[in-house]
Amino acid sequence: MTTTTSNAGRSFRDLINRAGIGLALLGLVIFFSVTTEHFLTPNNITNILTQITINLILGVGMTFVILIGGIDLSVGSILAFAAVIAGKAITLPGLGPTEAILLAIFAGLLAGLVCGLLNGFLSAYWSIPSFIITLGMLNIARGAALQVSDAQTIYAFPKAFEQFGSALIFGIPLVFLLALALVGIAWFILNRTVLGRMIYGIGNNEEAVRLAGHSVFRYKMIAFSLCGLTAGIAAIVYMARLNIASPIAGIGFELNAIAAVIIGGTSLNGGRGSVIGTLMGAFIIGVLANGLILLGLSDFMRQMITGVVLIVAVVLDQFRARYGRAA
Amino acid sequence: MQAQQHGSDAPDPDVLRVTGLKKYFGGVKALDGVDFSLRKGEIHALVGENGAGKSTLIRVLTGVHRFTEGTITLDGAPFAPHTPQQAKARGIQVVHQEFNLLSHLSVAENISIEALPRTRLGLYDRAEVRRRARTALDGIGLTDVDVDATISTLGIAHRQLVEIARALQTDSAILILDEPTATLTDREKLRLFDIVRALADRGVTVVFVTHHLDEVFRICDRVTVFRNGKTIATEDVAGSSPAAVVRHMVGRDLALTPAPRPPVAADAPVVLALEDFRVTGSRAATGVTFDLRRGEILGIAGLVGAGRTELLRSIFAVDPVASGTLRRDGAVVTLANPAQAIAAGMGFVTEDRKDEGLILSMPIAANTSLASMALVTRFGLLRDGDEAALAMRKGAQLQLKFSKISDAVSSLSGGNQQKVVLAKWLATKPDILLLDEPTRGVDVGAKAEIYTILRDLADAGVAMLVVSSELPELMALCDRILVMAADAIQGCVLPQDYSEETILKLAYGQT
Repeated sequence: MTTTTSNAGRSFRDLINRAGIGLALLGLVIFFSVTTEHFLTPNNITNILTQITINLILGVGMTFVILIGGIDLSVGSILAFAAVIAGKAITLPGLGPTEAILLAIFAGLLAGLVCGLLNGFLSAYWSIPSFIITLGMLNIARGAALQVSDAQTIYAFPKAFEQFGSALIFGIPLVFLLALALVGIAWFILNRTVLGRMIYGIGNNEEAVRLAGHSVFRYKMIAFSLCGLTAGIAAIVYMARLNIASPIAGIGFELNAIAAVIIGGTSLNGGRGSVIGTLMGAFIIGVLANGLILLGLSDFMRQMITGVVLIVAVVLDQFRARYGRAA
Repeated sequence: MQAQQHGSDAPDPDVLRVTGLKKYFGGVKALDGVDFSLRKGEIHALVGENGAGKSTLIRVLTGVHRFTEGTITLDGAPFAPHTPQQAKARGIQVVHQEFNLLSHLSVAENISIEALPRTRLGLYDRAEVRRRARTALDGIGLTDVDVDATISTLGIAHRQLVEIARALQTDSAILILDEPTATLTDREKLRLFDIVRALADRGVTVVFVTHHLDEVFRICDRVTVFRNGKTIATEDVAGSSPAAVVRHMVGRDLALTPAPRPPVAADAPVVLALEDFRVTGSRAATGVTFDLRRGEILGIAGLVGAGRTELLRSIFAVDPVASGTLRRDGAVVTLANPAQAIAAGMGFVTEDRKDEGLILSMPIAANTSLASMALVTRFGLLRDGDEAALAMRKGAQLQLKFSKISDAVSSLSGGNQQKVVLAKWLATKPDILLLDEPTRGVDVGAKAEIYTILRDLADAGVAMLVVSSELPELMALCDRILVMAADAIQGCVLPQDYSEETILKLAYGQT
């Protein structure tokens, strides 16, 4: 009897659930547009897009991991490690600028991918909570970054690389468009492919997926590898924007990426959420940061408010999950 | 409504009376006019198909949900609990189908968990906790349970009895048992019935929610039937019959036992053969040996813990095999994982559809295709149209009742959820189906439908291995029944010898 009568109610609730985060973002934008002079200027918009790019890229990979019910605490450190490896590659003597850039991109992405693969292998093979494995990787990758770079910041990259980092297309940073493309690809994978179906399936009921003849191990490895890969991509973007590769880059970035995913409505228990939510989550964090500073609040206040938003988002999500179950 | 509802023979024998009770969730009428009463010291059965409103009534009575309309009177005073604590304070206790025990704590700690006793210094009083637990356990005749045992070391039956002991340590006036026998073997059921009967004799009113009519007629005094959120009838068990109750439940007559099937041809090819097949951790000296023929339904009976589920899991390569051979169509095969078992033409309907069978929050279509993704994908890309078509086709074959194929499986009733599990395996076009408790938690109407489905499949040539704790189910369904105990086959019973006694003798033979 629940099947027929509640359809209208359910789709309305669905709409609120889906639109809720977008409405919150819209509300923030309107609020800051009204209360501050500079929020809605082209310059500031470019600014915001630049600022959220790295977090968005990390958030895309993190979405995969959180959807399977895992967590990746190591992406900030992997970013630094991949940046240092790419920095070493790009500054190798005797390479032309194009070769150096391509080599750097390849090396950076590979470093990220390998770290992610390790995370996935270790946690899936021995069924160890990914929290622990990636906490280990957080230290390993950070230490490796410092070791490889001798704790020195690497700089002096080819001009073209720097241009990639600062290029604007109609006022939109090229790197942001890259991040947006990643969101699109992730959306496609999660919604249109077997891989995506399995990721949601594993997050909901790992055993059912296993008994249906699928390799849970393999899909977990892929999810963590993708997360590592996005950390590698983020590392390249980071280098191109700041024109340096620092072994102490990305400290705490994992927490911002997790926050973007969770604010975006993805359940920490896995199985429920979307990468579009992560896009919204990253925007909310970025818009808040930007707008609150424009309002004249200190960076400390901004930090506090971002924390409050995270908690409110999770509380709302719990409320939503419970409300959904009762009916 | 029946005349027995408001007894006029005694002054007021009713401890609880519910009149015109309604409970709406948004637009959904979970309870739509319930009239119901309890007499002191009676065992009162609540029956009805899944979604008929039994669980909602219990949640209202125990303070989990507030009701929308109607009145409840408890001991002559109005009763409208807002929290479970308030319901407990008035003497209403419930033992849920899903256990609420803390599995890493001891029996004693679990029994006292709601109000842990303290010493005069305010410290945790271990001695008192143990003493109370002993009293509570002895009170229901559980003298063989150690109060220091960790819950996780107990079997399901004992866990349930511990819950009952916990519920009864305070002076409960009304004890609600929500499908207490769902996971029990026959011997365990008898023990539970004895305990329940003794409680009722002591003046405790017991509400007994069950899917099993034989239990209603075995131990209950009265029965109330729910359908579509309404109470259809309350009858004295002595003056009723199973057929009458079923008629109230489904609103029509229903054949409870299907007609016998012609025997499988002796020359039908053997599709699956086990030879000295031992599961990991097997307690038996010799392994399991049997042949399964094309189109045959082979039952496996046995007590909980006899190793039946373990056997199915090992055949399907979920768990590793210790030793022995498995022949598929005569050829020896070694299966390393479920994927290979599926490739070898097998399907496995697991005992627990919520934990192992279904992805509840995902659509019917996605669940149906889960074990045969290749049918609905190309180059790793999903083809929604193909997937929906597959689910619609299988849904039609199984007479699945749903509103949209994109609805989450969790929106379906237990019987229809089980049909989705079957649809998932039928989509793989299996030659062999392993079924573990195929009708657990399924209402009477859906049960009959599932029997028909399984028989039709057998007629179409699918061989089946059915594990069930319900002997009538096995006897109704199977061409032969193997009886297991302690990981070994104790015997094989043929249709002409089918009786609960014969099977149980074999099942208990070794213990």
